Amino acid sequence: MPETPFVELRNISKYFAKVIANQDVSLEIRKGEVLALLGENGAGKSTIMKVLYGLYKADEGQILIDGETKIIRSPKDAMQLGIAMIQQHFALVQANTVTENIILGLVHGRYDIKHYDKIVADLAAQHGFDVDPTSIVGDLPVGIQQKVEILKALYQNAQLLIMDEPTAVLTPQESTVLMNFVQQNTSAGKAVVFITHKLREVMEVADRIIVMRDGRVVGDLRRNETNELELSKLMVGREIHERTYVEAVVTPNQAVGLELQNVSIRDPKDNVFQIKDISLQVHEGEILGIAGVSGNGQDALCNALSGYRRLTKGKILLGGQDISNTTVRERIRLGLGYVPSDRHRYSLIMPMKLTENMFLKRSYGTIWRKYALIDQKSLNAYTAEKIHAYDIKATGPDATAKSLSGGNQQKVVLAREVDLGKRVIVFDQPTRGLDLGAIDNIHRTILNEKKKGKTIILISTELSEIFGLSDRIAVIYRGEIVGIYKNHDLDTQKIGLLMAGYTPDTTSDQVLHEK
Amino acid sequence: MAVLLGLIVSGLLLLFLGENPLTAMAMLFSSLFRDGYTFADIFVKATPLMFTALAFALAFQANLFNIGAQGQFYIGSIVAVSASLLLQDKLPGGLVLIIVAAATILAGGVWGGLIGWLKARFNANEFLVSMMSTYVALNIMNYLLRTWLLESKGEYPQTNPLDKTVWLPIIFPGTRLHSGFILALLTCIGVWILLYKLPLGFRIRAAGQGKDATAMAGINYKTLYIIAFFISGALAALGGFVEVNGAQHMLVQGFNPDVGAAGIGIAILANGNPIGIIFASILFGALKVGGTIMGQLAGIPSSITELMLGSVMVFVILGYFVREKLEENREKAKLKEAVSV
Repeated sequence: MPETPFVELRNISKYFAKVIANQDVSLEIRKGEVLALLGENGAGKSTIMKVLYGLYKADEGQILIDGETKIIRSPKDAMQLGIAMIQQHFALVQANTVTENIILGLVHGRYDIKHYDKIVADLAAQHGFDVDPTSIVGDLPVGIQQKVEILKALYQNAQLLIMDEPTAVLTPQESTVLMNFVQQNTSAGKAVVFITHKLREVMEVADRIIVMRDGRVVGDLRRNETNELELSKLMVGREIHERTYVEAVVTPNQAVGLELQNVSIRDPKDNVFQIKDISLQVHEGEILGIAGVSGNGQDALCNALSGYRRLTKGKILLGGQDISNTTVRERIRLGLGYVPSDRHRYSLIMPMKLTENMFLKRSYGTIWRKYALIDQKSLNAYTAEKIHAYDIKATGPDATAKSLSGGNQQKVVLAREVDLGKRVIVFDQPTRGLDLGAIDNIHRTILNEKKKGKTIILISTELSEIFGLSDRIAVIYRGEIVGIYKNHDLDTQKIGLLMAGYTPDTTSDQVLHEK
Repeated sequence: MAVLLGLIVSGLLLLFLGENPLTAMAMLFSSLFRDGYTFADIFVKATPLMFTALAFALAFQANLFNIGAQGQFYIGSIVAVSASLLLQDKLPGGLVLIIVAAATILAGGVWGGLIGWLKARFNANEFLVSMMSTYVALNIMNYLLRTWLLESKGEYPQTNPLDKTVWLPIIFPGTRLHSGFILALLTCIGVWILLYKLPLGFRIRAAGQGKDATAMAGINYKTLYIIAFFISGALAALGGFVEVNGAQHMLVQGFNPDVGAAGIGIAILANGNPIGIIFASILFGALKVGGTIMGQLAGIPSSITELMLGSVMVFVILGYFVREKLEENREKAKLKEAVSV
């Protein structure tokens, strides 16, 4: 007879206005265990925990604490039930001391700060935290601030501690300390939920692992019964090859369309390299796939290519011309198309019409101008033509981007970028969150552009997409390219290891490093 | 709808004052059409409101809040009166008007553009900066009115009256309706063309509704902040010009203290649409004129019009949020249905 779990979530669903964040999620959290919630960005890990913590209200489903149904309306309710959550962005008052932050909202009227300083100091010593209760939080490094957050939870005697991507801000040494604490804490009978997308951490610290994808639970495994490969497959999903790679119909033209030389971007805030020394060449008529678990520098790479961020180091050459220091506008003019992964934020302006979205990247050009005015007629005609050509389900050129389904929105972006990207097109997760029909449609468009001789970079976490379309595949891990291979020289097993950060056995494979 | 609710609520307030709201309202409306002079005054009152409303609306399209139209209006007034007094004896009237208009545009534009620059450069909160800039402008005006611009008699803090040659011509003889009203109409149409027909206006709107997507499209939205605030300030300053050269013909301390606030209300009522602003301004103008007359006639405090305008505005704003909420719920319901199938 299994004991009653401390927390049980039953069939929780949470919808945002246009997206399903969680669908029918059920899971249990038991006392004395470390549960890892594993999944890619946007898989719904944080959302489900925010529902438990009372920050979001579930649209459907129940929450049971110690076997009893509870309604958690706010973090205050959650804390009373012994649930504490440490957000990715800490909720600390920067100008106050450590002690003041910890007792915030828990004391009323007059109080003796010295008395509390002592309690906090004892608590810190008890857990081996080197924290001075009287220091000002704003002066402390992030690693220590996190400890303050943990102390706050401990002070409130939380039975369940939820940590959202806790190691994202920590150095490896700090991470080790944190892991030790987590294990120590659970051995005292408390529970910890560890939200992460890093496989290594999961293997290191978790007792049980729940894998989430697209807002659903796709796996519930014990750590000692699984391995990183299985987890990465679950996390990335769909191993089935929906489209098998066809050997290039047109042999890639030998001319190099795009070249990166030691491209690096360093985050000015913490001085960490988001991408480091990326060097690669993509030929005209070739698709280079860039595979990797999300959060390994793909965003920075895209920003480097589009001109959205300055390079810290290195060069980008477009058809031999150095474009490293050109602006986004200049690169658009030179024929660089870019399909960002977050179409809501970076590609489209949702409340605007399709015509206006088509016009967006061309507002400085001379096309669609009549004297100084916008030539609405030809812009309408162009948009209508694209709606027809790409089979976009919309009421017409005047429909707002918001009114379209995700797949159709992406087709609008594709139509625009394919025309703009006369020479190079960068696709970042072009099919994320889309249904199979739309995916197929988009894949066909990409292959078509390749046939026209364009230089194409395809960044994706979907292995089937990478294998189905790319001529060559580069694997990115922690901001570095760990290898570039011909499509046929890789299989899912090998790429899975590469994506998880294992260096392949170079003797048995023909590794085709570019340089 | 919101306008109607506002009128009903203010009618209820009239009840508390012991007046029959229906007769009061009837009186208000009939008084407006009492004679040509009164009727024309509606449009005189509406004229500066159109400019301040446009100022708010244009910045709002870029998702910026220009709360400082009042101050920009005063800056425009100061420049208009100074330039007019300076040039009226030296140059022909028509030429003076053109120069004065250009000077006010420039002054208001720089005054407003500064706010935009602070926003772009230091990410200063434009809401607060523009609001505070009003007090600066107000005090500059008060200072000048007691020193350099003080009338020759030196009695009151006001300027000498302007020479008739630099007045904006009256459209209908026997009324106060001046050609500034025409200019206001043309400006509304001009701003509409700018926003919906010109690439620059498109970029301003795009930056307002999705600045990340705009940046990804190679458009520098920070520059747009400065441009939008420049135009916005220039519009409000033009309002000062038409009021000084068209209606007041001098600058008096503390005149038109509520054009800025009313402009915000009008812009919201018109949902930021320049053409809608024409009608909303006339509505506000009518309520103002009517309120003054009502106060004179029936012993109803004329502040009731302020109440009326206030409640109309509250309902307009509420209506906006109600619509938003309804929309969201509909979307959610649709999604749920799609999932359950």
